[in-house]
Amino acid sequence: MRSFASLAATLAAALLITGPLPAHAQKVLNVGMAAADLGSLDPHRTANTPDKAIIGWMFNGLVRFKPGTMNPDQIEPDLAERWDTSADQLTWTFHLRKGVQCNNGYGELTADDVVFSLKRAADPKISSFSSDYADMTSVEAVDPSTVRLTFKNRPASVLGILTNYQGGNIVCRKAVEKLGDDFRTKAVGTGPFAIEQYTPNQSVTLVANKSYFRGAPKIDRIVYRYIPSDATRDLAYTSGEIDLIYGRQDQVWAERMKSLPHTIVDVFGPGELSDLSLNVTKKPLDDLRVRQAIAYAVNRAELVKFKGPLTAREAVSVVPHDYLGTDENAPLYPYDPAKAKQLLADAGYANGLKISIIQTALPTMLNTMQIVQAELKKVGIDMELNVVDHPTFHAQIRKDLSPMVMYSAARLPVADVYLTQFFHSRSTVGTPTAVTNFSHCSVADKDIDAARQTTDVAKQKALWKDAQDKLVKDVCAVPLYEQLQVWAHRDKLNFGYKLDASLTLGPIINEQTTLQ
Amino acid sequence: MLTYILKRLLVAIPTLLAVLTVVFFFVRIAPGDPAFIILGDQASQEALAAVRHDLGLDRPLPVQYVDFMWQEVRNVLPYTIELTVTALIIGVALGLPLGVAAAKHRNRALDYAARIFSLIGLSFPAFVSAIMLLLAFAIQLHWFPVISEAREGDPLSRVSALVLPAVNLGLIMVAYVMRVARSSMLGVLGEDYIRTARAKGVPARVVVWRHALGNALIPVVTVVGLYLGVLIGNSVLTEIVFNRPGLGKLIVNSLNQRDYTMLQGLMVVYAFIIVIVNLLTDLTYGVVDPRVRQT
Repeated sequence: MRSFASLAATLAAALLITGPLPAHAQKVLNVGMAAADLGSLDPHRTANTPDKAIIGWMFNGLVRFKPGTMNPDQIEPDLAERWDTSADQLTWTFHLRKGVQCNNGYGELTADDVVFSLKRAADPKISSFSSDYADMTSVEAVDPSTVRLTFKNRPASVLGILTNYQGGNIVCRKAVEKLGDDFRTKAVGTGPFAIEQYTPNQSVTLVANKSYFRGAPKIDRIVYRYIPSDATRDLAYTSGEIDLIYGRQDQVWAERMKSLPHTIVDVFGPGELSDLSLNVTKKPLDDLRVRQAIAYAVNRAELVKFKGPLTAREAVSVVPHDYLGTDENAPLYPYDPAKAKQLLADAGYANGLKISIIQTALPTMLNTMQIVQAELKKVGIDMELNVVDHPTFHAQIRKDLSPMVMYSAARLPVADVYLTQFFHSRSTVGTPTAVTNFSHCSVADKDIDAARQTTDVAKQKALWKDAQDKLVKDVCAVPLYEQLQVWAHRDKLNFGYKLDASLTLGPIINEQTTLQ
Repeated sequence: MLTYILKRLLVAIPTLLAVLTVVFFFVRIAPGDPAFIILGDQASQEALAAVRHDLGLDRPLPVQYVDFMWQEVRNVLPYTIELTVTALIIGVALGLPLGVAAAKHRNRALDYAARIFSLIGLSFPAFVSAIMLLLAFAIQLHWFPVISEAREGDPLSRVSALVLPAVNLGLIMVAYVMRVARSSMLGVLGEDYIRTARAKGVPARVVVWRHALGNALIPVVTVVGLYLGVLIGNSVLTEIVFNRPGLGKLIVNSLNQRDYTMLQGLMVVYAFIIVIVNLLTDLTYGVVDPRVRQT
C-alpha cells in the first residue's frame, strides 16, 4: 500500500510539474514530420522525402540555388567563391571559400574534402545519384583551395549537379572515414546546423553552427520530430508544440490550416509532374490516332479540381513547370471527347477498345488513375487497372510490362534531365542503358543531344522546346497535373526569404531564419 | 503445481512454432524492399545492394533475426511493457471495485452509471478516445504536452509521458474488468453459502470481499488474460496517436519501409507475449482456485 501511495504521489507531482513547456531562453524550432523514424542523414544515399528537408539544413554545395528558388539561372556561390570554365566547358575550376569549418569539430574544409565528396557522389556503390556524374572523368585538388573537374561530355547543367542538392552536397572526409556506418545518423557537413542528437523513433536535434561562414544562425536548435499520425501532428501544431509542420498534399488540410490563427500555409515547388507514358511500339498504342484519342479524352482541369487547386496545378508540358527550358506553352491537346471518339472510329475502334495496365496501390497515384480511367471510359476506352503494391509496380514497369505508365517525379530543374530520363531512346526500359523511358519514343533524340552539345543558352532552350513539341504532338506521354509541396508554419517563424521552391521539398532553414 | 506448470509450458511451444511458421510464409508472399524505399526510384542496383548490406538485409535470416531481437526490440519493448502493465493496473484497480460495487447496488444509480461507463469504454476505439484525451488534456487544459516525450535521465518526464496513454488504454480495461466482475459477483452473491454467511451474522464487508470475491475472481482472471491481447492490439494504436516509442511505432515504420523481416519479428514478439500471458493466466487460476491445481 505504501508503494502505491508513493506512486500516486509521483503521479500527482508529475501532473503538477508538467504544464505548458516553460519558455526557453534559447530559440528552438520544433518541426513535425510525417514519418516514424529517420531513414538516413547521408546526403549521397537517401532520396526519402522526410530525410531531404533536414539534410538541406546541414550541408552546402560548391554552389547553391538561391534560397527559396530552384531556378538554375540564379545559381550562386556557396562553398566555392568563384569558378572558371574552359572554352569547350569541359573543364571547370572552382576556387573555394577559405576558413570554412566542418561541423562537430572536424576541422577546416579543403579541396581534399570536395574531391572525396564528389568522387563519393559519383560512386554507384555508395551513391544513389551516381548517374548524374556519369560524364565526370576526373575531379582533383589543384591546391588546398582549388578543385578542378573535367567531363567527357558536358552535362546539361554542370552547376546543377554541384548545388546543395543530392550528390552535390559536400560531406567532410574525416567524418565519413571516422564514423563509418554511423555516418548515417551522425552525418557531418558545413551547413548552418549540425547534428547534436538522434533519438530513434522520436527525433533528430540539430544545433546551430555558430561559426557558419555566412554568419551564426539566429535559431539555436532545431528539433525534428517524427510524428507519423496525421491527427497527432496537427494537434501538436495546434497546441503550439511544433512551429513548422509537414502537410498533407491535399486541399482540405491546406484550407483548414489556413483558417488557424497566426498560421501561414506554404505551397511551393517543385511540382511533381505526373505524366502518362504511352508505349508507342505496342498495339493499339502504336497507332498515333489512338494515342491522340487518349490525349483528347483526358481532362486536366478536372484532375486539378479533384486534387485541389491550392495544392495542384495543370501540367504545361511533358516537362514540369519552371525548369530551365520548359516550354510553358507546349501544344497540349485540349479536352475534346467528341474528337477522341472520332479518332478512335478512324483507327477502327468505333466499338471501343480495351487496354490492360499495371498501376500502383499508392492512394494518391491510384485515385488519379481512377479518374483518368473514368474519362477514358466516356470515349469508349476500357482501361483495366491491375493494382499492385508500390515496389512491385516499380519493378514491373521497368520490365516493360505495362503499355501505359503513370509516373510522378521531380528532377534537377533542367529540361535535359527530364527529357533524357523519360524520352531519350537511350533510356528506354528493357535496354541495358534503361532509365525511365516507358514510351519507347525516340522522336526527340536529336534535339536532346544537340542541346547538350551547344554552349549557347538561347539555342539550347530552342532545341528543348522543339523536343517537347515533338513529344507532345506524337503523344509519347499525356501530361496530367503537378502536385506541389505543402507545409505550414506559425507566423513567428520567418524564413528570411520568399519561399517559391525548394528542391529539398521542405523550407530551407538557415542563418537568415528567425523565430520570435 | 510443478507438473501443472510444465504441462502448460509444453502446450505453449507448439503454439509458438505454429505462429512462427505461418508468419514466415505469409511474409514471403508479400514483395518489398526497404532499400528501394530509402533510396528512391533513381537508385542504381549497386546502391541498392550497398544499402541492403548496410541494413544487414543480405545476411542469413537467422542472423538478422537474432540481431533484430537484440537491437530493436530491446530498445522499445520496455516502453510497450510499461504502457500495457500500467494500463492493466489501472484497469484492475478501478474495474474490480467498481464491478463489485455495481453488483452490491444492483439496479441502483451507481450500477447504472457504471454500466453506461463500461458500455462507452467498450464502444470507443482506442484511437478515438486517445484523440479525445489529447483534445481535453493537452489542447484545452494544457496539463500534458501532445508529444509525450520521455527524456533520458528525467524520470518525471517518463511518468508524465505515460499518464495519458496509460489512462487511454486503462479505461478500456476498466470497462472490461468491471463488466465481468459485476456479473460474476452477481452470480456468487446469489449462492447459498453467501446467504448462510449473512445469516451467521458475518459483516457485509467480509462477505463481499472475502467470501464472494474470492470465488468471483476466476472469470475476472480469464478476462484480464484474454483482454491483455486486446490491450496489446490497442497499445499499437495508442502508441501511434501519442507518438510514443514502442513496438507499435516500430510496426508502422517497418510497414512503411516494407521491412518484412522486421514485421515478421514483431509478429513473433506479439505472439510470444500473448502466449506468455495465456500461460500466466492459467497459472494464476492455480493460485486463485486450488481446485484447478488438483485436476
